[in-house]
Amino acid sequence: MTNKYSESLERKIKETTKLGLDVVKEAAEDRLMTLSVGPQHPGSGHFRFTIKVDGDYIVYCDPDPGYVHRGEEKMCEYRNFIQNIPHLERPVIHDSTNITYSYSLAVEELLGIEVPRRGQFIRAIASELNRQVYTLYWLAIYGIFLGHSTMFMWPAGDRELFIDLLAALTGARVTHAFNIPGGVRNDMPEGFKEKCLEYINYFEKRLKEYEDIFYNNPLFRQRTENVGILPKEDAIDLGVTGSVLRASGVPHDVRKVEPYDVYNEIDFKVQYMKTCDSFARAYVPFLDMRESCNITRQLLDKMPESGEVRLKLQSNPKGLIGEAYKRVESGRGALSYYIVSDGSSKPYRVKISVGSFRNILALPHLLVGSHLGDMPSIYWALNYWPVEADR
Amino acid sequence: MATAPKDFRFGSFVGSVVWLIFWIIVIVSLVGLPLIFIILFYIPLPYSNGEVITPYLFLSMIVDPTRTIPIIKFLIHTDIFRAAIFPGFMYAALIAATTIFVERKFLAKMQLRTGPLYAGKIEGILQLMADGLKLISKEIIAPSGADKPIFWSTPIIFVATAAALTALIPVAPGWVVSDLDVGLLAIFAILGFFPLLALLFSWSSNSKYPFIGGLRALHQLIAFEIPFILSALSIVLLSGSLNLTDIVESQYAFWFFAIAPISAFVFYISSLAELERVPFDLPEAESEIVAGWLTETSGMIYGLIQLGTYLKLYVLAALFVTLFLGGWMGPQIFPQELIPAFTGEKIYNATVVNGIFWFTIKTFAMIMLILLPRGINPRIRIDILLHTGWYKLIVLSFINMFIVLAMIYGGIITPGGLQ
Amino acid sequence: MSSSIIKKTSTATGFIKAIESGSKHLLMKRFTLRFPEQKLKFVGDGYQFDPKRGVGIAGSRGRHILFHEKCTGCQLCAITCEGIAEAIEMVKVNEKWKQNKKSIMPQIDYGKCVFCGLCVDACPFYALYMTDDFELSSFTKEHLIYTPAQLAVKPKYDGTVEVKIDERGASHG
Repeated sequence: MTNKYSESLERKIKETTKLGLDVVKEAAEDRLMTLSVGPQHPGSGHFRFTIKVDGDYIVYCDPDPGYVHRGEEKMCEYRNFIQNIPHLERPVIHDSTNITYSYSLAVEELLGIEVPRRGQFIRAIASELNRQVYTLYWLAIYGIFLGHSTMFMWPAGDRELFIDLLAALTGARVTHAFNIPGGVRNDMPEGFKEKCLEYINYFEKRLKEYEDIFYNNPLFRQRTENVGILPKEDAIDLGVTGSVLRASGVPHDVRKVEPYDVYNEIDFKVQYMKTCDSFARAYVPFLDMRESCNITRQLLDKMPESGEVRLKLQSNPKGLIGEAYKRVESGRGALSYYIVSDGSSKPYRVKISVGSFRNILALPHLLVGSHLGDMPSIYWALNYWPVEADR
Repeated sequence: MATAPKDFRFGSFVGSVVWLIFWIIVIVSLVGLPLIFIILFYIPLPYSNGEVITPYLFLSMIVDPTRTIPIIKFLIHTDIFRAAIFPGFMYAALIAATTIFVERKFLAKMQLRTGPLYAGKIEGILQLMADGLKLISKEIIAPSGADKPIFWSTPIIFVATAAALTALIPVAPGWVVSDLDVGLLAIFAILGFFPLLALLFSWSSNSKYPFIGGLRALHQLIAFEIPFILSALSIVLLSGSLNLTDIVESQYAFWFFAIAPISAFVFYISSLAELERVPFDLPEAESEIVAGWLTETSGMIYGLIQLGTYLKLYVLAALFVTLFLGGWMGPQIFPQELIPAFTGEKIYNATVVNGIFWFTIKTFAMIMLILLPRGINPRIRIDILLHTGWYKLIVLSFINMFIVLAMIYGGIITPGGLQ
Repeated sequence: MSSSIIKKTSTATGFIKAIESGSKHLLMKRFTLRFPEQKLKFVGDGYQFDPKRGVGIAGSRGRHILFHEKCTGCQLCAITCEGIAEAIEMVKVNEKWKQNKKSIMPQIDYGKCVFCGLCVDACPFYALYMTDDFELSSFTKEHLIYTPAQLAVKPKYDGTVEVKIDERGASHG
């Protein structure tokens, strides 16, 4: 019995035999189905990876970044040090303070200046608040892609509190353009410290609710425990960073290993877990959020009451000839800038190295051999932000 | 934003009203009147109190109240009223529509947000109508390689099957659309049709993601039919018949939930899986397989499938109430006579109204219980699901069946009630 | 350094706690801000910059306001924006001011502006500030280009709603 499918198959076999291609291999691979989890997929963000599926098991995975590449590094060479800030914060608009923090630190080394103490504290507070914002956003997306719509709404609502704080501090809700080489752009408004403490106290109570409904939910545990195991040696070999590394048993946090600004005066513990599975990768950012509340309180306590927040520079500062490399802990891992300056007011070369791009190397490693249903829990637990990875 | 409206001119308004009246007159006289005469010629008119009720007589009876009530009672007891309106399609569709709205508001309250708010004056109550109008106005896109007859007819069969299920639920004593002696078995037979429909629709969509979704739906729905039937089997043992009305009436002393709570739990979990609700909504898991077997639905086809799903929700909740929670049984809270000295005959039947009241309340409570896991749980994975369905639930339902058998053998309960 | 070990709770307890947590939220207040009817209150009076001290004053970064009596037409704002968004262009105005010999003032294209506020930092004469107004949508792209005369008007923004936290949860207004 012939129908249109078998006719087309026969035609395909005839054509490929004419060209001398290997048809037998094609038929054996008929069992596999190629799925493109591409940008037009609700579960992938703006990123594409191709997987081949055999029944319910994934046998091949090929991540394909580059969808949102805009040439950030090249654009930096045409603008001077201060004009670079607005476009450099666009790769991660939620976490924009951290991605410009590292840039400011590197440029300050090139300009040979040091930021006043109160400015350093304000910078660190903004960075911690921004880390909460990003982690809550990530948690919201992780929840909805596992099918838990409540876990989308609650973090998205609580994130509004921190965005309000940042809007009061910097003037904008996201894309703050707050860090600048030389300090921060403006001082804290009045009443900020009390409001910040009130919101952080309320937020810590909410963290208990998240734990009850999401992390201790047996269905969530069943889906993520012992799934996507990344052993410690493999994690170090692949070069992953951030919460993925800490979930595989390596207690590495840039704020502790190479403290920058005022982090050497703050007392906090690096949160890590030894189980190396997807649950650990989901739980470590949650522990980080709790620790972040702690850090913010200490920063608010220790901040000097008054002082300069920004060094007055000339409007078009020229850098010293040389290079600078600085690293910062952002929401996704270690984010570093390597800036080379040739004495003019524009940088000669800026190289941005982000945590997301290094973490995605673990994706083929983890997905191959797992169920198709594990794809969201593994992929999103790697904390990958496509725009930042493509720069 | 739309374009700005043109200025109002009274002349064109009057002109448009006249145009409308013209068209109404044309259509009524060319189409409506012949239709009425054809009906009057060919359809036999009903009898009541020895008189043939012609339309003229009917209209004159409405004016005189002493003759209206027998007419209305007569109309209510016809078959078409039962099938289309009261325990049948309209009632079920009304409950389904209310469920959709209540679900959205309930979930919104649990998630600390507002839900639908702006459609309708009070808290977005007309949101469903707005959604329906939107879906009707959308284009239905059938993929080019799709199998057209199956693609277009499956949603309609889906709604028809779900509506057929509503014909078997007893809502009040004497008010069932079809009172089969094997009612429970008929429900399971019709429920067994749904996996086939899911598979047909996903296969005819001719696309990869619906294919995966359809296979998942097939695995899931078939796996959970067995614990479903086994848990209902304990109830059959307790009541001694498969007729749903008899099952309700044999719960006159106590609800069967008290003896078979494990079976009730198994039934609840299986009905969540049959309805493809969270946590068992893998056939439409959005983040993995882009809406599963519903990927290629758009416009009214999506609307029909949603309607079918919510009708099924009503049916399974009503079935739970019938089997375990005593159906329409409840303390009589409606008085026997509403207005005693009005016409000399009863306006309404108090037992029936009482039954409808208790049934509706219990069904709503059960529906809220089915809606609750959506706010609390994430989705489950297919192998954990199949493990639960084939191992754990079957074992649990057998445990309860043995308990019930032991009680019957020990003489505590006979089929049909307490000893 | 601490490694967290999660206590394994039994399945039933996990579900019961989850249901309890979810049901608790049915009694909490809704967090939604109903935007056009309720608007948030902003801290401060818009982003301003003090060139003498070299530091900004905290405020919300919305539409700009140009003080005609202070602007000298030095083009520093346009030069700064050239590297960022190219949204500021100097145009000739019909007014005669003592400090503005060339009679040119900035015109801002809000189709391109990214609201970073570096033009406010660049102005040495206290002439360009930012205000609270963010509702700038229009029907055509040409209407988004605000002339210096349009920029001189201070917009009225009447947001009054703040986040209130009490024992029944956080809510707006």
